[in-house]
Amino acid sequence: MVPDKKRGSNQRVANNLLALSSGAILSVYAVGYLRTRPAVERYADALPARRAESPAIPPPVTAVVPPAPREAAPVRAPAPTNAAPSRPTPALGNQTSEPADVAVIPTPDTPVVVEPSEPPPVAIDLPPEPSPVPTVAAPNLYKDGTYLGWGSCRHGDIQASVVIENGRIASAAIAQCRTRYSCNWIETLPREVVGRQSANVDYVSGATESTDAFADAVADALAQAK
Amino acid sequence: MGTFVTIDVGGGGPDRTDHTLSTDAARDDAIERAFGWFHQIERCCTRFDPESELMRLTAQVGTWVTVSDMLYQPLAFALAVAEETDGAFDPTVGHRMAARGFCREHRTGRLVRLGPEPSGTASYQDVHVDPARKAVLLDRSLVLDLGAVAKGLAIDMAARELEPFAHFAIDAGGDLFLAGCNPEGRPWTIGIRHPRLDRALIDTVTVSGAAVCTSGDYERLGSDGESHLVDPRTGTTATSLASVTTVGPTAMLADALGTAAFVLGPVAGAELLERHGLEGLFVTPALERFVTRGMQRRYQLGHRTHAAAC
Repeated sequence: MVPDKKRGSNQRVANNLLALSSGAILSVYAVGYLRTRPAVERYADALPARRAESPAIPPPVTAVVPPAPREAAPVRAPAPTNAAPSRPTPALGNQTSEPADVAVIPTPDTPVVVEPSEPPPVAIDLPPEPSPVPTVAAPNLYKDGTYLGWGSCRHGDIQASVVIENGRIASAAIAQCRTRYSCNWIETLPREVVGRQSANVDYVSGATESTDAFADAVADALAQAK
Repeated sequence: MGTFVTIDVGGGGPDRTDHTLSTDAARDDAIERAFGWFHQIERCCTRFDPESELMRLTAQVGTWVTVSDMLYQPLAFALAVAEETDGAFDPTVGHRMAARGFCREHRTGRLVRLGPEPSGTASYQDVHVDPARKAVLLDRSLVLDLGAVAKGLAIDMAARELEPFAHFAIDAGGDLFLAGCNPEGRPWTIGIRHPRLDRALIDTVTVSGAAVCTSGDYERLGSDGESHLVDPRTGTTATSLASVTTVGPTAMLADALGTAAFVLGPVAGAELLERHGLEGLFVTPALERFVTRGMQRRYQLGHRTHAAAC
């Protein structure tokens, strides 16, 4: 391989990884800010009116994204691995002649642009114990229908069914669990997710297998709904 | 990332009022934008979608490719960490993971297209970046895995978005960022998952204004039943530790160095963390615990009673 002069630059920045990570955050934020600014400006326009309607000092709030469906529980939303719609892209074969433009172009459907007055987004219900889990309000990413997906962990496999209505997740449920143990442990999943904020600790660091498996299953189902 | 993300805004204690952003709508907007970062970064950097910018990049070998900041920044950072750790952290570990069944998208049996046949000996040294042009050159076919770095970046972006609120928590599948105080007006108390018992804690830390990330051998088992934490230098599973928890100023840094420290083991891993001002807790498969020198003083390991009000 040809020695590359760019290695030098990697070497140099490696000495201050913290500065590099902070710089990365600022760079990406700067890019994203251009996209979110229209929403910010729209919000600013509406602010005086909204303030007039609001109490001067609102009570402190615990977790609510988006406007919570009654339950005060903190919000869980899956960040689906495969949930993103595929944008039209040039065929890969056409990209070799020039620096390929694979940059993420701001698109009108970017999920960071949020209408302040948007209606409350849908909740994911996780039977058999319905525990509304509002998802992030996203644009219409999915085709309507019911989709099945699998996730797995050391205990076995979990199948999730996800219902898409009007392009959004209407509900998600555990359809099957093929685990070494009784399905009963799964039934506590939604409660467990919330229960991780117990009396003793605020949060837990380290993934739980059961929630990961369910999240995988939901992401797998959503991938088919593109 | 395929994980659950929780955002909790509004700690700081029952008597606190927030004068900077005084409406629910402002808070909800910020939270929406914070979640939006997870979607955008995931969409860009996932290797499970052949149409992601990352996967389109890896389909082009031997030519400079201009990429977006959202891909360039985490990739450049990952390469810097790889240099710093002499390959104990390596974003090209993807091809080894793929060889061990990790290209299979979960349990569907659906194989993810990996582009050209990955070379078995690729390393981070086959990836070159040009900061001026935000361009990337791959010397050979390889699989890039930005998983840990991209998730860390998304957490940091969300934290940046929520900065005006002073008190908030972000939980992305057990990788966390905690700002300000919890709703009782104290620093956030974080349980560390027991590496052998799914629902038990092995310790706690008390943090404010920091990311807490844990890499464990219990995560995302491969088809052979082994951990996904592969030593990129050998292609074998790293076995000297069961979990590593890192605390640091950014999730990107804490997650990447935690992954490297897991591979390096408790001694070299602790040196790495301390060199970059991070603290960490190491748990071996025999459940022995090691900590960096400042861990106890800065984050009150196991001290879950009456942290000073903040």
